[in-house]
Amino acid sequence: MSDTTVISAEPRDRVGKGSARAARREGLIPAVVYGNKKDPQPITVNERVLMRLIHTPGFFATLFDVEIGGETTRTLPRDVQFHPVTDRPEHIDFLRVSATTAITVAVPVEFLNEEECPGLRQGGVLNVVRYEIEVSCTPDKIPSSLQIDLATAEVGDSIHISAITLPDGVTPTITDRDFTVVTIAAPTVVQDEAAEAAAEAAEGEEGFAPEDGEEAAGEEGGESEE
Amino acid sequence: MLSPKRTKYRKQHKGRIHGNAKGGTQLNFGAYGLKALAPARVTARQIEAARRAITRHIRRSGRVWIRIFPDVPVSTKPAEVRMGKGKGTPEFWVARVKPGRVMFELDGVPRDLAEKAFELASAKLPMDTKFIVRLGER
Repeated sequence: MSDTTVISAEPRDRVGKGSARAARREGLIPAVVYGNKKDPQPITVNERVLMRLIHTPGFFATLFDVEIGGETTRTLPRDVQFHPVTDRPEHIDFLRVSATTAITVAVPVEFLNEEECPGLRQGGVLNVVRYEIEVSCTPDKIPSSLQIDLATAEVGDSIHISAITLPDGVTPTITDRDFTVVTIAAPTVVQDEAAEAAAEAAEGEEGFAPEDGEEAAGEEGGESEE
Repeated sequence: MLSPKRTKYRKQHKGRIHGNAKGGTQLNFGAYGLKALAPARVTARQIEAARRAITRHIRRSGRVWIRIFPDVPVSTKPAEVRMGKGKGTPEFWVARVKPGRVMFELDGVPRDLAEKAFELASAKLPMDTKFIVRLGER
């Protein structure tokens, strides 16, 4: 089960981009606590504290006790909006959770025995299809991570969700198929080098290759449609 | 090199690149990525050079994803030709990249190798870039 982290927050009186930007200028991140049939409450969180927490594995699967003016609310972070260029968090959503409601949560996958894995030792590549698995459970049963043992995995092997033992009361949200979590792919270096050599040879002659074909397609629009 | 298979029109206006990227700003496939910090037109040749720099550096392992595509034709006029007499002929393809766009992603390699590979790739690209890591990755 995942641990609970305490995070202190201040209530936000005004909402909207003006006050949100003012908060960001002061090193605070605007956030909201909502759900559990109560009114949403706008808050601000210290940016430094939040940055440290966001970059810990399994942030979205960790329960947070948000302290707002002496009152504590148990929440689960649901979404973080980042600035597209600076990657600074701009806003965060916290969902109020009650002990009885089942919630959907993305739990990180952890790989064990990577050094001993025969497939990786032979030069195979660990191709992670899902870094997180979405599961449904009650808040007190959220696993901190789902562990996959690679001790016997060979090149070409795929590990599916059925190979992972989930704790009691935890079920994957995808139930219609046995989806792949990770594969051990063969190294592709030989193909790559051959392809690169061929591409290099072709490039010398090329120039603006698509022009001819495209010219015909572009000028005789009717024909190209067919 | 990357180029569209067929296009509706041969020539396009030059255009300008305004604002920040709206999509493709977070990692979607790999654990590491290379993000653009400034607007630029990236040519197919530059994308290929960067891709090659990455794959050569990571050698045996890893997987690379290219998340930009050069779909804008750029035309040029021949040397010593006076202005007018119509637009020049399409010469190469470019991708219009806005700041914040994740251009390349990489997975299956240690962090230091990925950082070096992207440093080499960045030298082939026309704008400042930064190395980004998946949330929760150390």
